[in-house]
Amino acid sequence: MSKKIMIIDDEPDILRFLEQLFQDAGYQTVTAGDGSEGIEIAARERPDLITLDLQMPKDTGTAFYRKIHRDKKLGDIPIIVISGIAGRHLAIRKPVAVFDKPIDKTALLQVIKDTIG
Amino acid sequence: MTKQKRKNEPEFSDWFYRDLFQQVPFNMAIIDKEYNIIEANANFTEYFGNWRGKKCYTVYKNLDYPCVGCNARLTFEDGKARVSDESGVDQFGKQAHYVVHLAPLRKRTNGPVEYIVEMSRDIIETKNWQMEYQLLFERVPCYITVIDRNYKIIRANENFRENFGDVVGRQCYEVYKKRKTQCPNCPARRTFHDGRVHHSDQVGIKKGGEKAHYLLTTAPLGRDTENIAHVIEISTDISHTKALEKEIIEAERLAAVGQTVAGLAHSIKNILMGLEGGMYIVGKGICKNDKVMLNQGWEMLERNLNKTTSLVRDFLSFSKGRLPDLVPVNPNRLAEEICELYKEIAAKIGVTLTVDLDKKITRAPLDPSGIHTCLTNLVSNAIDACRMSDKKNGEVCITTADKKGVLSFTVSDNGTGMDTEVKRKVFTTFFTTKGNQGTGLGLLTTRKIVKEHGGKISVHSKPGEGSYVTMAFPKKRLQALYEEKDSPDGTENK
Repeated sequence: MSKKIMIIDDEPDILRFLEQLFQDAGYQTVTAGDGSEGIEIAARERPDLITLDLQMPKDTGTAFYRKIHRDKKLGDIPIIVISGIAGRHLAIRKPVAVFDKPIDKTALLQVIKDTIG
Repeated sequence: MTKQKRKNEPEFSDWFYRDLFQQVPFNMAIIDKEYNIIEANANFTEYFGNWRGKKCYTVYKNLDYPCVGCNARLTFEDGKARVSDESGVDQFGKQAHYVVHLAPLRKRTNGPVEYIVEMSRDIIETKNWQMEYQLLFERVPCYITVIDRNYKIIRANENFRENFGDVVGRQCYEVYKKRKTQCPNCPARRTFHDGRVHHSDQVGIKKGGEKAHYLLTTAPLGRDTENIAHVIEISTDISHTKALEKEIIEAERLAAVGQTVAGLAHSIKNILMGLEGGMYIVGKGICKNDKVMLNQGWEMLERNLNKTTSLVRDFLSFSKGRLPDLVPVNPNRLAEEICELYKEIAAKIGVTLTVDLDKKITRAPLDPSGIHTCLTNLVSNAIDACRMSDKKNGEVCITTADKKGVLSFTVSDNGTGMDTEVKRKVFTTFFTTKGNQGTGLGLLTTRKIVKEHGGKISVHSKPGEGSYVTMAFPKKRLQALYEEKDSPDGTENK
């Protein structure tokens, strides 16, 4: 069965873009529009990897990370930060990788492949 | 005491006059033509010390020769009484100030002056007070001037003279502000008129040409509140404080610019990624010959392009760092205009837009296009809040009011409302709850315009119940800004 990626971003167009990009690379996708929705969906869908935006109106990416990290079942899911803000590499403790916006598609897909196959 | 009574009192003999001479509360001395003191009373001895066998100039002034312009000599010559202010030394060598009365003593009426009685009284205390007051007046760390009804300065203290130059006899408006005519809103004129104390904020020009901001208080000189002859003007220089204020505003502005640029970069990155996403989806649609996907990608491109447009527009209006262009307008007219403009759009999505106007409101100096922008932002926010709410009958109302000298516009809605977290962030650059639709600059721009008008903006909201945002403008400040605009050199601000 193909691996599942969860995309968290408050911009619908970016969600749509990454969704298509990952599907075309052969992954399943689920999306969440903010951090709290992200926790809910992650618990239900058990994704293999998460891409995370940092600046979102309701719950920031950092807050999401803190919550999911404390969760025993979800705490080990690898996370890739995709954000345009400065200091994005410091926002969470152990990201698999950090990408600036707009993203380098090839590099992103390569990292995902290296991480979850 | 009548002569009659004196005749009947045998006690009024030598002892009486001797005692009177000794006890009279003045320093008394009698001198002969050679300035020898031949008699003096107890007070004199106490004040000037031992006098026996001494000349009067030695005792009074510690001199070896008669005083220049000696009054006693004149009295010996013409027999007239004299009074003078003298300075000398007391028995301890300390500076002494005293008033001296000289009177001739004759053995026969109209005979030659044999002796002179010198009666003196210490006025050192009075002198000291005078000096203290003088010193206080000169050195007090404010500017003090006294003007007459023609606005001519008749006295000015040291501090004022140092800063504004030589002043006595010149018109106050000329010295304070280098004007040729009386200042508009002159507080001294009001004090002359009503006898009351008046305060005002003023900008003058010092002798070196630099600007001086000062807080001026004018008060009538004297107890009478009518027919005031003189007014005292006391002011504190607040140029330094004003300069600091300016620096703070400038620093805040720079910080805002920094934040804005960082926020802008972030926004642009998101838009770029949206555009890239659109291109990717369009590309896929073409590859797969999938019309649905093609449409979807095209819409993404359109949306992000529009977003660029509105971002640039809002950004421009935000970055306009100018003074508001104030003209007297009717605030109710502005509210009505916005209502007309948005009524239809609101109705289309089931929102009723109304106005609730305070009919008593008069014209006030406002920047119509600035206020227009503010109201547009607030009303469109309110309509959006109604759209996002589950309620069916959305209502938005623009209210105007004029209470306690404060003019206000309030935009209220019964939409979604905001929780504390959102409320805390509404004035943050590029913060938006509208996803693709908002730029996150609307409220920020609104606050900026309100501040430029000297006003305040406040946001009240309850989740699920709605919000209201009030822009409040103290009319005094509007008027001051308006007057400042009229006199760019800042000669007057009430």
